[in-house]
Amino acid sequence: MTRSAWHIAGLMLGFSAMGLLAQAPPPIKRTVETYTVPEVTLVNQDGTKVKLKALLDSGEPVIVDFIFGTCTTICPVLSAGYANLQMKLPNQAAKVNLVSISIDPENDTPKVMRDYLKRYRAKPGWTFLTGKREDIDKVMVAFNAYIPNKMSHYPLTLIREPKTGKWIRIFGLMSSSEFVAECSKVGIL
Amino acid sequence: MSGLAMVPSWRRMVAGAVALFFLAGTAIAAPKGQAPKAKASPVAGLPEDKALALGERMYREGLLPNGEPMESVVSGDIPVPGTSFTCVSCHVRSGLGSLEGGVVTLPTNGFKLGQTRYWKYPNLLPEERKDLHVLTPQARPAYTDETLAHALRTGIDPSGRELNPVMPRYYLKDEDMAILVRYLWSLSTQISPGADATTIRFATIITDEVSQDDQDAMLVPLNNYVAWHNTHSNGMGNRMYMSIGGKEMSGSYRKLSLSVWRLKGSPDSWERQLETYLAKDPVFALLGGLSSGEWKPIHTFCENQKLPCLFPITDLPVISESDWYTQYFSKGYYQEGQAAARYLHGLDDPTSASRILQVIQDGPEGRDLAAGFRETWKELGQGAVKELRLAKGESLQATTLRTLLQQEKPTTLLLWHGAKAFAALEGLADQAERPGVVFLSSRLLGAETYGIPEKARPFTWITYPYRAPEDEPKYSRYANSLLKGLPKHKPETRISTRTYAMLQLFQAALMEMDRNTYRDNFFDRIGMQRDYVLPDYLRLSFGPGQRYASKGCFIMQLSSGSEPKLVRKSDWVIH
Repeated sequence: MTRSAWHIAGLMLGFSAMGLLAQAPPPIKRTVETYTVPEVTLVNQDGTKVKLKALLDSGEPVIVDFIFGTCTTICPVLSAGYANLQMKLPNQAAKVNLVSISIDPENDTPKVMRDYLKRYRAKPGWTFLTGKREDIDKVMVAFNAYIPNKMSHYPLTLIREPKTGKWIRIFGLMSSSEFVAECSKVGIL
Repeated sequence: MSGLAMVPSWRRMVAGAVALFFLAGTAIAAPKGQAPKAKASPVAGLPEDKALALGERMYREGLLPNGEPMESVVSGDIPVPGTSFTCVSCHVRSGLGSLEGGVVTLPTNGFKLGQTRYWKYPNLLPEERKDLHVLTPQARPAYTDETLAHALRTGIDPSGRELNPVMPRYYLKDEDMAILVRYLWSLSTQISPGADATTIRFATIITDEVSQDDQDAMLVPLNNYVAWHNTHSNGMGNRMYMSIGGKEMSGSYRKLSLSVWRLKGSPDSWERQLETYLAKDPVFALLGGLSSGEWKPIHTFCENQKLPCLFPITDLPVISESDWYTQYFSKGYYQEGQAAARYLHGLDDPTSASRILQVIQDGPEGRDLAAGFRETWKELGQGAVKELRLAKGESLQATTLRTLLQQEKPTTLLLWHGAKAFAALEGLADQAERPGVVFLSSRLLGAETYGIPEKARPFTWITYPYRAPEDEPKYSRYANSLLKGLPKHKPETRISTRTYAMLQLFQAALMEMDRNTYRDNFFDRIGMQRDYVLPDYLRLSFGPGQRYASKGCFIMQLSSGSEPKLVRKSDWVIH
């Protein structure tokens, strides 16, 4: 075996150890970031074209995550968080734009996205977006969330502060109370 | 072709092993054929088969025996109905678990639940741990009915440790819990037929109209791969695995065998022939396969037998959102019709989309092209589509087409027809009232695509399901070079390149499946593959339940001149 192969094997051992520790809750990391939303046109669950910059920079409260329809672990929990947040906001749900951006655009057609939202009992105000792979890549890069392989993606929630336009970047899976607290901090609840 | 030519490089081996090793933490024990203790008594007052069917529905659909969604809470305080996601979403169909985004979903299959789990090398069986002098502490003892129910309700495992908060905590009545627990004990308990501790048996299917050249184009690389894999002794193979994955991987290597099942006569008789083959030669799964006809009889057989079939070489697959046991390269002809609908729908100028006419040549190819367009057009919320089906053996005549266009006045004509319609197509060029766009299928036309009449090229759009021709050589050169020694090798059939692509995915899934040779686990591992860039298709992508790996298609036009080229008119059409 070459040295590089041993090096990779060593990395594998490290990842394996991480896997074994994964029964513990992953720590949540919170930062405040500035992002420039790319000028791309995506497609929502109704098949309608959506200019992402206009949607995200509208000045209204916006929360963004990256998911895909056949994801096995992270996305279901993120989406349960979105669904639960909408339930907690019966009168305001339509005023908070929840945006999920597909990282599997090949499979996530408008129909797949509609079915997905239906499973989560999504209310108006939750938009699932897909698009050309190049455009999806641009969005992931813009939010420092690029992953070349969808199976190695990570839980990320981005909350836009309506007043400053800055983004609260939360790495990890939040509980309902943590999610509500984060929304409250930026005044969108 | 040299068998050694198929030897994966160390880089590829290690890459495969990385994926395998990632999964090692999630699953992997060596069942060696033994089942856990039998649990055959009635549960919740129900007979065994009824209880298992209800348990399966809880596991896969998140529905309680009374039909209501299972209720749970995740991440501490987020309520989740079972219809949003349920056990199968993360633990996957076989119960062997998954790894995604750094979160390990532990196995919940009967065999693993009944074993003590160790922090280090959880794959190894007790006797292997002893042989290899692995003396590390256990993570948890084997589950019992009671401790399993406790874990499902509270998230506390039998060692007292708390499971990851992403594992839902379920609210289940005792009788419902008993049904789910019984199902989990039944899940992936015995390794599947066709596999044992030394060998995994496979077959491939060839129907009797396939030419010898085409058979060779698939069988030569397939047999060479199997021969290369089997050049290792079991000891050598295991040492190879161990050198990459350490002790965890010891005992994972299996020899492969490949049978060829030849189907003769009417497709109506194929199921019976296949049943006979399977009874005599119980294989673990089917690899590839070749038929110029419809794949449906074989597809149905695989569904009935729960027998995986990996990448048959067919352009006439079954289109289904729920069938599970055949992994196709694409939706074939159907996908080209689908792409035409999507592309037309996405145009900024809606003129072309206002009146649609499909002229459909008799046969399954035309039927699938038309169905792909029609169904997608409807799904996109567009209006009705007029259709003319030609009779068996009938070709489209110029006068027929002219009359039809005068009657229907379509803005777009989908001409799902072979080259015999070229004269009628050419006649359109001089017609004052003609559709602005005519679609043709490159797969249906084959090499005759390049014979589209010059005068018709400006308004003729062509569905093209592969990578653009000018880009293809660098992706398929290696795969084609493997068949250099084969007389009459025809790269244009894409049979050997598709076989090559199939083997890439097979190798990855084989390694990740490890010793857990359950048929469902084989396809669970396929579903967890990263995207692949291989010959022919622009991209192959996977996911649990995704059964058509290439999901797009180009729209092309033919350039002018006597040596025309296909020119891309669209991006890779996926929506």
